[in-house]
Amino acid sequence: MPEAVPSRRGLPAGRAFGLLAAVFVIAFGVAVLLLAKDQQRVIEVNDRLQERTFPEIIRYQRLARNLEQLRQEGERIFAVSSHASRQQSMFVVTLIASHPSVLEHPEAAKLAREVEQFLGQVVAQSARSDKRPTSHYDEWQGIAARLGILVDDISFEGINLAGSDLQQASTAMNLARYKLVAVLLLVSLFLVVLVVLVRRHLIHPLQRIDHALSGLSADKPAPLFNTSRLLEIQAVEEAIREHHDLLVQNEEIRRGLESLANKDGLTGLMNRRHFMQSAEVELQRAQRYRRPVTVAMADLDFFKKLNDTYGHAAGDVVLKAFAERVREALRQSDLVCRYGGEEFAFLFPEISTVETVKLAERLRAGCADNAVLLPDGRPVTVTVSIGLAEASECSIEAALRHADEALYAAKRQGRNRVVIDDAKAVTNPIQENP
Amino acid sequence: MHRLLLALLLTFLLSFGARAEGGRPVDLRIVVADDAAPLAYRDESGQLTGFSVEIARALCSEIGANCVFDVVAEGDALPRLLQGKADIAATGIFETREQRGKLIQADPYYRSFSLWLGPADASPGRKGVRVAVVGGSIQEDYARRQGWNIKVVRSSGELTRMLIADEAQAALVPMIAALQMQKNRAFRGLGLAPTVLRAPELSGDISFGISPHRPHLKNDINAALARIKRNGTYDRINSRFLPFRVS
Repeated sequence: MPEAVPSRRGLPAGRAFGLLAAVFVIAFGVAVLLLAKDQQRVIEVNDRLQERTFPEIIRYQRLARNLEQLRQEGERIFAVSSHASRQQSMFVVTLIASHPSVLEHPEAAKLAREVEQFLGQVVAQSARSDKRPTSHYDEWQGIAARLGILVDDISFEGINLAGSDLQQASTAMNLARYKLVAVLLLVSLFLVVLVVLVRRHLIHPLQRIDHALSGLSADKPAPLFNTSRLLEIQAVEEAIREHHDLLVQNEEIRRGLESLANKDGLTGLMNRRHFMQSAEVELQRAQRYRRPVTVAMADLDFFKKLNDTYGHAAGDVVLKAFAERVREALRQSDLVCRYGGEEFAFLFPEISTVETVKLAERLRAGCADNAVLLPDGRPVTVTVSIGLAEASECSIEAALRHADEALYAAKRQGRNRVVIDDAKAVTNPIQENP
Repeated sequence: MHRLLLALLLTFLLSFGARAEGGRPVDLRIVVADDAAPLAYRDESGQLTGFSVEIARALCSEIGANCVFDVVAEGDALPRLLQGKADIAATGIFETREQRGKLIQADPYYRSFSLWLGPADASPGRKGVRVAVVGGSIQEDYARRQGWNIKVVRSSGELTRMLIADEAQAALVPMIAALQMQKNRAFRGLGLAPTVLRAPELSGDISFGISPHRPHLKNDINAALARIKRNGTYDRINSRFLPFRVS
């Protein structure tokens, strides 16, 4: 039955960043539209200036120019002595005062009409004279001054027409500037938010994933993640956790298989193949560094007889008990295996053959002095014969053959003893059993 | 073989001709009078000049057109325009009811009104006073509608001569024509008094007429007129020919 996949709570990365991008596009679009609106307003004001305001200003300037011309013609009437010249000026005054450009400005039309009437009287009174008229000049100066002031007023009236448009353009441009700054801030804010979100939800999780993958091992505990809000990251983290579980399971299986491959199923000691490999390595190391090393072969005495007497189950119990004694008697560095049946092989590194005798003797004595309780409760004493051989200058096979020869020597000499190859047995307790 | 060469040569010449035609500026035929000072007249060297003529030249320059001036009687300008024999009439045209719909008029280039020039004791239209008017003008139309005794002349220039010769005792004239008449010593000697007539049909905007065969010219002319009014060209021409601003 497949394992239930835990439901994940979070957002898909594409949707999350798409949502963020959509928010940004909308906000940026709105800002751009507002900017475009301001720009359009500036363009409209500029068009209005070009198409309406400037022509209107020029119209005011022309009106002012005509009023100034009116004043100049009036001065000419008082300045010239020729009546014909005065008539000519008066004619121009009449035309100016009647021109639509003057009539459409009430204040200018009123003053122009006053000027026309005044100057008309002056010209009429001086019709028969070729002298300059002087009687009304003071009065004229007052009218001329008012004309001058009106010229100034109209000039500035025209110029001021642009003020409103320019103010509107200035306001629109200032507004556009603020909006531009706001847009820049918005873009900056978005970029900051984007960087923060990318770092927080993508880069940091990926770094954690990378770190977890780098150190992923069956020997270490499963990596812990701060669960991301993005589904994709959650999926990867979940996959890493599952991968770690698989690693642990695989390691356990591997160890189990290794145990099956290297150990003897009954005694738990090394099997012969693994012993030979390990002993070969150890022997090469000892020979390379010229260190002492000894091998041994041991065989339980009268084991066949024990099997025949008590049954194979009892034989297995005896073998297990012997293996346990071996573990207790030997050093951690010593190698031992069930070589076959009731026969065991040993390798003792960093120790000479003579010194090894003590270890072997302790083992032998341990077996001889301690009975093994069978499953039915009966005690049985099993002795062991051990052959030792120097291995520092030969192959493992040769050394084991020498040890085996010593073992047979021990058997021949009466069993329950330790014999060194080409040497006599060091122990001599002849206690046959069972 | 010879035919082939000839065909190639003709093809080359035709294509060259087409390019030359395409690269040349637009030709505009403008009708003006030469006896309507200060709007249109010939200077001492015989060259056409005047307020209307120079404005027309400035417009041609603005739109990059190669303009050709045709001199006609003032009354003949509009018929030639309507017949398509001219593109622009720079004679100063009031929009009248009769012309509306037939004639295309550009934006106004000056504003005018009409003057009665007559004896000081003769009010406009007084019986026994013969009034000189230019044929085809709004002044003629007005005088006829008023039932005045009129004497029609072909041009503004003839008005002065008519008054001096006492073939007419008064004249109904546009503002600018009166200005020109006032410059004549013999005319001033007549002692005619000016009276501004306020009738709406005698005053208003004056514009160039555009041939109905070339309606697209209107936008170009109007845009060019707006530009020369803004850049000072118009006012320089105004100052050159007239004593005050007429726009």
